[in-house]
Amino acid sequence: MPELISNESVIEGRARKAYLYDFYGELLNEHQRQVYSDFVFNDMSLGEIAEEEGISRQGVSDMLKRCDGKLEGYEKKLHLVEKFMKIRHDVEQIYGIAERLKTDIKGTDDIETLNKITKIEDISNQIIEEL
Amino acid sequence: MVKIRLRRMGQKKAPFYRIVVSDARSPRDGRFIEEIGTYDPTKDPSVYNVDAEAAKKWLADGAQPTETVARIFKAAGIEK
Repeated sequence: MPELISNESVIEGRARKAYLYDFYGELLNEHQRQVYSDFVFNDMSLGEIAEEEGISRQGVSDMLKRCDGKLEGYEKKLHLVEKFMKIRHDVEQIYGIAERLKTDIKGTDDIETLNKITKIEDISNQIIEEL
Repeated sequence: MVKIRLRRMGQKKAPFYRIVVSDARSPRDGRFIEEIGTYDPTKDPSVYNVDAEAAKKWLADGAQPTETVARIFKAAGIEK
């Protein structure tokens, strides 16, 4: 059974950083992208990144802060992550309702309604995939 | 030395992590020795799955978890 983690700020922060990178990462320079993704995606420590990059730990720390500042700055202006989350949440709700409708008509032979519900699910999936 | 760390999988805009055991000397290298769990930060609250037996075995063998993995282990009640 999957287990749930309560609000662990460091861990939750990682998800936010991952989203910010996915949306705005291209706007960082190559060096920044490497360091940021080492930290957020490869789970490397400041010391490990410093060693790989040949810079000091403080240098890595400063760079990560600068990247965070840049990415958060883009989000503050563009809200792409916020909009993505909102749309995904709403579409998941639509999908959930379609699932419940399917359960409601289970056992009946209302093929036409079933097809319509399946279409709603397909479109919901498509929207999420294309976001 | 061997480390237990997160490694991102999953497509763009769908971050998903594996908890992997890998050689500490090659952190950028995608290779790993064993996958002992998963962590999905997209759910609220986050969902994780850890093979507790394997985790305990690696910890007992001296594998070092990263700070984040240590937090996940703590939440899962896994100790050395």
